[in-house]
Amino acid sequence: MSNKIHLIGNAHLDPIWLWRWQEGCGEVLQTFRSALDRLNEYDDFVFTCSSASYYRWVEEIDPEMFKEIQNRVRQGRWVPVNGWWVQPDCNMPSGESFARQALYSQLYYLEKFGRICTTGYNVDSFGHNGNMPQLLIKGGMRTYVMTRPNTTENPDMPEDLFWWDGVDGSRVLTYRIPTGYGETGAEALDRILKNFSERADKNGHGMMLFYGVGNHGGGPTKGDIEHLRAVKAEGFYELDFSSPDEYFEAMCAARIDIPVWNGDMQHHASGCYSSISLVKQLNRKAENWLLAAERWNTIAAKTSGMPPATNELAEAWRSVCFNQFHDILCGCSIMEAYDDVRDSMGYAMTIASRAENNAMLKIARSIDTWIDGVSDPVSTVVRHQSGGKFPRPVVVFNPMSFEVNVPVRTYHPSVRVTDSEGNDVLFQNVRSSRSNDSHLDTVFMAKVPAVGYATFWLYLMTNENREDFKNEPHTDVKADGLVIENKYLKVTFDGETGGIKSLVSKTDGFDYAGGKTLALPTVIDDSKADTWAHRIFTFHDIRGIMELESIELVESGPARAVVRTKHRFNESHLTQDFILGSKQKVLRVKCKAIWQENFSMLKMPFPLDGSDPISTYEIPASFIKRPCNGEEEPAQNWADLTVTASDGTRRGISVMSDSKYSYDCPGNELRITLLRNVIFADHFSHRPKADFNFTDEGLQRFEYGIAVHTGEAEASGITAEAALFNCRPVAVPESYHKGTEPQVKSFVTVTEPNVIVTAFKLCEDGSGDTVIRCCETDGKDTARVGIVCDIINAGFWADFGKNEIKTFRIDTEGYVRETDFLEGIYEE
Amino acid sequence: MIKPYKLTAQPCRFCTIYKKGDSAIPSGLYEAKCAAPSLDGFPLPLPSKKSDYTCFAVTADGAEWYGAATGLTRYDKNAQREDNVIMYFAADRDLPDNRVISLLPSGNGIWVQTETGASYIEMRTVGAEEKADILLQESIKYVDRRGMYSQKRLAVPGDVTTAVRYGHSDNDGCFTAGFAIAEMLRFATFRREKGAEHPDTVKAKKVAVRATEACLLLMHIHGRGDGFVSRSYLCPDEPVPDDGLFFRKEGGKAVCLETSASKKRGMVGLVIDASAPVPDRLAKLYRDEGYGDDGIVYKADTSSDEITLHYLNMLFAHDILGPEDPELDEIIKFSVRGVMNHITDHGYELHDCTGEPTTWAKWSRSYFETDFGYVDACLNAAELLMYLKTTMHILGEGGKWQETYDALIADGYDDLTTKHWNRLYQAGLSMSFDPFEDIMYGDHMLSVSAYWGLCMLEKDEELLKKYRDGFRSWRTSLKREFNPGYDLPFAISCPDEEIDLDRLATWFYRMNVSRLASGVSTKGRHDTPVNRLRAGAKEISWLLPNDERFISKYDRNPFALKNVDSGGNTTVESCYIYSFAYWIGRYYGFFE
Repeated sequence: MSNKIHLIGNAHLDPIWLWRWQEGCGEVLQTFRSALDRLNEYDDFVFTCSSASYYRWVEEIDPEMFKEIQNRVRQGRWVPVNGWWVQPDCNMPSGESFARQALYSQLYYLEKFGRICTTGYNVDSFGHNGNMPQLLIKGGMRTYVMTRPNTTENPDMPEDLFWWDGVDGSRVLTYRIPTGYGETGAEALDRILKNFSERADKNGHGMMLFYGVGNHGGGPTKGDIEHLRAVKAEGFYELDFSSPDEYFEAMCAARIDIPVWNGDMQHHASGCYSSISLVKQLNRKAENWLLAAERWNTIAAKTSGMPPATNELAEAWRSVCFNQFHDILCGCSIMEAYDDVRDSMGYAMTIASRAENNAMLKIARSIDTWIDGVSDPVSTVVRHQSGGKFPRPVVVFNPMSFEVNVPVRTYHPSVRVTDSEGNDVLFQNVRSSRSNDSHLDTVFMAKVPAVGYATFWLYLMTNENREDFKNEPHTDVKADGLVIENKYLKVTFDGETGGIKSLVSKTDGFDYAGGKTLALPTVIDDSKADTWAHRIFTFHDIRGIMELESIELVESGPARAVVRTKHRFNESHLTQDFILGSKQKVLRVKCKAIWQENFSMLKMPFPLDGSDPISTYEIPASFIKRPCNGEEEPAQNWADLTVTASDGTRRGISVMSDSKYSYDCPGNELRITLLRNVIFADHFSHRPKADFNFTDEGLQRFEYGIAVHTGEAEASGITAEAALFNCRPVAVPESYHKGTEPQVKSFVTVTEPNVIVTAFKLCEDGSGDTVIRCCETDGKDTARVGIVCDIINAGFWADFGKNEIKTFRIDTEGYVRETDFLEGIYEE
Repeated sequence: MIKPYKLTAQPCRFCTIYKKGDSAIPSGLYEAKCAAPSLDGFPLPLPSKKSDYTCFAVTADGAEWYGAATGLTRYDKNAQREDNVIMYFAADRDLPDNRVISLLPSGNGIWVQTETGASYIEMRTVGAEEKADILLQESIKYVDRRGMYSQKRLAVPGDVTTAVRYGHSDNDGCFTAGFAIAEMLRFATFRREKGAEHPDTVKAKKVAVRATEACLLLMHIHGRGDGFVSRSYLCPDEPVPDDGLFFRKEGGKAVCLETSASKKRGMVGLVIDASAPVPDRLAKLYRDEGYGDDGIVYKADTSSDEITLHYLNMLFAHDILGPEDPELDEIIKFSVRGVMNHITDHGYELHDCTGEPTTWAKWSRSYFETDFGYVDACLNAAELLMYLKTTMHILGEGGKWQETYDALIADGYDDLTTKHWNRLYQAGLSMSFDPFEDIMYGDHMLSVSAYWGLCMLEKDEELLKKYRDGFRSWRTSLKREFNPGYDLPFAISCPDEEIDLDRLATWFYRMNVSRLASGVSTKGRHDTPVNRLRAGAKEISWLLPNDERFISKYDRNPFALKNVDSGGNTTVESCYIYSFAYWIGRYYGFFE
């Protein structure tokens, strides 16, 4: 019986692609109606459908139809699959995003249908990261259906049914659809049935045939259903109207040896990881902001009685999850759709911003910042600053689960900055973005404990004390012409090209540039690829190197030194501020581009001399090593190239960014893809003459960072460093008040540096329980990791496997159970 | 080339429990002042909830002790090893009960008053080899039963001195073989390091030989003469428990005794042949205690567990003891040939006297086609191949053994050895359990024995690669236990794989100095998350140190959330759990 062909009636629905979401929503309603009609007409027909967001649309717009669906689900005739909000891109969302896809969707399915989805189902997504098995399993799914890459794009993978082992060792039973996910028409169905029957006999296991017209087609047609019924009645093939759940159940029960695939599944649409920078940037920013906001809201709720924002944050997350739909986040939808994306991501970030600000202020208000005499009558008020001669408290909040010491910025100049103990703190008055009054802001070095805050005291610069300003502390930052350095790095710029001609690690004096020039802005010709870059996997045709227009040292102070370069290529411009802060391991590069170069990519290359090159990329909640073969690769916050250098030591350059997801590594050179300018939604078209709109046209702002290390990338602390790069501490100007809390406090302690907290939240069931999620970042088994959080009476140990994600639910007494993304609300 | 890891002497807990009112308890303990420790901002997780702590004291070594309503915590911020910074002491193993009332530092230790009594706890520094010796002496004194080392029941719970003279284990053969291997490696290590004539070496050899003889005896005690292997045996004056099939020997015959199992199978009173002689050297083990062959009761329905460990034991015995003891080596050869003949002559099954296979000793294709056998096949295929390789190695002959081996390879047994994790995972999906929830934790030791043996003996690169892959497949299940008894044979077999010797060192350091079973307090620990698995079993999220979790004989899930040792509190177990791992580590140069 294991050789049966399971007929999976489905309808592939893109909520946004060559249309906006409003049309996509209508399409869902129409298709669901059609599917229900087919279920009424044919008592053996089974319909399979993914994406919780679609069901929610129907529930809100047509409750009567939704009841029909509920009834059919109860009967097993309508089978929801993929416990996620949409079929997202499976490379760019963060690990935490995948957790939220599962959390909000599976709990929705549980509430509405009394069950969760056990099969993951991303039949159209363009690639699948190597940590997906773990992300699926911890979201309640142990089986998976996908299509891309197909057997031509990736012939190494098993053809159809296989075990997929992720980077952490998690395993899901996976079916790669060998044909299409929306077959229709008697001729096509007959051809596939014959092919599948032969495959089933050859491989000794059953197959799934996905039929039904997607995207405005209404799903399985009467003609297809009747044809399949007729073929089944002939008895020539063993067929059954079925669902993926049923298929996998049959395969598990069969005594068949199934091949194994390790790692990720790439590539299909290599241009998608850089197409439309806007949506990428919004995604990264929203993910990080929501997590930080949630963290502070949880702390405020637990310490100060602030009402939890759990529901609001969930709604914001649903917006983010929706916009992770593969055709949206991959930048291959129509231009107008991105107006909607910008608005709904803005909605999510507004919620994040409010929740974060409310919580931080609530926490800050309980800190004792009182100074005797501060309430005495004063005669001068300087630009909204009360207190006159007194320093002003600024509370810096660090959302990271490790201590940080980073530059933070406030919007006023200072003559002195001290910490809560009165010790002087390195600071620097830097040019502000305004042209009003002093034109200066303060950047100071803030040392803040893990998931905690620290209070700093800023002595405002006024006309009266301007002359008293003597900031001559001992600092590691130096600048001399086009050379800037700190404790860790010495960076020398090339006055001719604006690139980095020497990048010396001051730990051991090794020059990572090795005689080459790093960070030469390189324009790639991208005229041959469509928006997806179908069938194109490398982008190596150099159109030219941007010409240097100017280079100058624009800042040199105790907290940081800044070299600014300006480049030009035809009518396109790039300004880069290379910022080296005190005791920072990362050279931060703040970029502004005015881009007008059609059919192009902008790449920033980092060559590194040596043998045995290995490129490593962060993937959701993990990392993966890939060959340095020059193929365009997706990555999360960072990518890295490590070689055996001339001195025999393993050395690497890591590049991180605040919004980019695409890199390549042709041999001994790591290149981050910063911009991609192609026609919107250009799908194998012949490009008729027209005045097309291009992606990444006009003003672009983004940041990237450079770090060096010895040893392999994953052991260098790069994951934490890049997380910090993306989610900086926030400075909250405070006032003077009595309070019960100290000026410095940490709310969560984790004893091992390679285990970081990715979520700190209240449980979705309203019980008041707290959820802490952590992941191991270095790819090593780590025993006895201590996690302490006094505000919820919790302190517990846990062992982590390599790259393991663990979710803990802590009750109000501080007792802990380990659960998964569903927070113990659903347990098998 | 292994760089040996130096095992150092580490603090070890010595706890003496007193009943309430015992005159040995110092009066100062009752008068000790109690004040809750200040634990605000304490940097590490604590076993008890902070609000549960009611008293504290500091001992001479600088360690702080916190008493709680839920046990006792020791905090040594200067501990040499991180995993010794926080230690938890609880009932029944360390305390009479968990409600700590007062603390009184005294000498090198601390008195602890609880609701129902008191405990004196001392942290003594003990070396790893010293610990092996302490445990061995306990086993020799209280566990040894005519050379068999598995476990003994206690007449008085918790009092090792009351170990009863009799009492068998279903796995006497398996556990004793593990013990014997450990002692052989101890002997071989001493012989290498101290010389063959050194008293320690001589003593070690004696223990190793005795245990090996006890194992070999099980292959002959039944008198069937057909290569069958008994699970265990009892002397005439030992009570026969109702937990399996037993046969009493009398006048060259053996009669099946009435038990639930024999009744169920309709075997009560069945008389079978038992005339085959028991080698005198082996029979000496019971004859020296005054027993004859008549009246001996042996246990049948033997499983593959026994056979596998016996084969590994015979392999080591042949190589280590054989050259110095030709008489013993001849018995080994006789035994290994007999058992192998039995298995091959019976279609790769071990047959009971009825002509039917025993419940769990089946290595045949037909068994592999059953639901249970489909998953079992990977281990059992490796076992059978290992038996054959061992047989050829010991006998120094190929012949029909090689032909059989080749036939099995041709039948795909070698491929089967690589598929454990795939098939287990598939079964888990199908039957809704987590692979780690697999109930057969006893298979872990069997897999280590089978694959270790195969990797030691196979010279064909292609086959060796498969066996190594098979071992790796099992390691998916074994790895998280950080048990040197598994990891060291794995590292020997797969030299390219890395193991964490420092982590394994913890396993030795935190092993108690007694194998006395008792209750522990895992449930309710405030610092230990609980994880419910798919089929309902509960696990803890971190591997508790050996001295804070229940004990087992390589046959239980160490992550299981349970408060009771496998033998309840009325058992003392063999030291083999420690000595097997320790002497492998020493002999193969992992540790010094």
